[in-house]
Amino acid sequence: MVLLELIWSFTKIGFTSFGGLSMIPLITSEVLSHGWMTASEVSDIVAIAEMTPGPLGLNCATFAGIKAAGIPGAFAANFGVLMPTLTLCLLAAVFFEKFKTNRRMGQIMVGVRPVCVGLIVGVMVSLSMSNYIIESVVSLPAIGIAVLDLVLLLRFKISIPKVILISAALGLIIFH
Amino acid sequence: MNDWKKAPVLFGQFFKFGCFTFGGGWSIIAQMQKLYVEQENTMTSEELLDITSVGRSLPGTMIGNVALLYGYHTGGVICGLACLFGMILPPLIILTIITYFYSLVQDNPWVMSAMMGVRAAIVPIIASAAVSLLKSAFRYPLCYALTAMAATLYLAVNMSCVTLVVIGVVCGLLISEYYERKEQKHGTA
Repeated sequence: MVLLELIWSFTKIGFTSFGGLSMIPLITSEVLSHGWMTASEVSDIVAIAEMTPGPLGLNCATFAGIKAAGIPGAFAANFGVLMPTLTLCLLAAVFFEKFKTNRRMGQIMVGVRPVCVGLIVGVMVSLSMSNYIIESVVSLPAIGIAVLDLVLLLRFKISIPKVILISAALGLIIFH
Repeated sequence: MNDWKKAPVLFGQFFKFGCFTFGGGWSIIAQMQKLYVEQENTMTSEELLDITSVGRSLPGTMIGNVALLYGYHTGGVICGLACLFGMILPPLIILTIITYFYSLVQDNPWVMSAMMGVRAAIVPIIASAAVSLLKSAFRYPLCYALTAMAATLYLAVNMSCVTLVVIGVVCGLLISEYYERKEQKHGTA
């Protein structure tokens, strides 16, 4: 029964959120009202989600699912969060492949692509504010790592996993 | 339509992507760009940008949507599911382990300092992908203005991505019509 409730709650969360931090308020009210997590656990999960791979929504689902019903709970909650992907997005995929060569679709994408680039720029700016300004001071070591990473990526074509591992090692040496 | 041979390969590739999707998943776009656009040449940066736009503007988690869209584009529903499940499995496994050992990780100075390093890497990773995505985004000069506007509205008034994409749709139709008519005029004159 808990499993069905988890699926339903996280399906609602999935459909009403558009990724990232926009999920937090809804997740908070759902897991608190069911008693799956405490308020302090909710703020813990935001911290955990930041330091583990994977999107926030899926990580919250896993954490809340385990707290509520163990590992099956984690699967149920993940399934719920992925419901929009498995339904709406699948429909969109079929639709998109069909109309890709359509003239109007081409015109639409002329406007959507620049907006998407604008969003990427926006995300980069807001991530920079939180990743390079630590306790309201600009962190020169963090910026140093970023510059080095950029050179490794663009000039030496080092793979992204390697860059992440190198940065983690540098973080250990510099910040510890 | 369903490419059963490709599905395991895609599952493996997205499993690997999934291990390194820090920073809200935007780095998966960078990883896909490196593998599919630069190395395998199986996709143009234009197509990647299209998938990202569609995935971002639908409800649910962006990278789940992007994984499914890419898989479907490559080999039908079965490949879409292979990409999706390949991508979500690593976070699911890692987080399950962390949930059980949270007290060990919480406030651990070693973990915290390593994570500060990882966080510093996210912006350059996204930037490296953005550089090549930029080239395919601007068909007409007015498109630059659209990018500037979207970034400003997103940052200044926290406008939702859906609203911005809808604006993009409308502007795309208007801008294309304008330039296409202008070109036609020149063609006949």
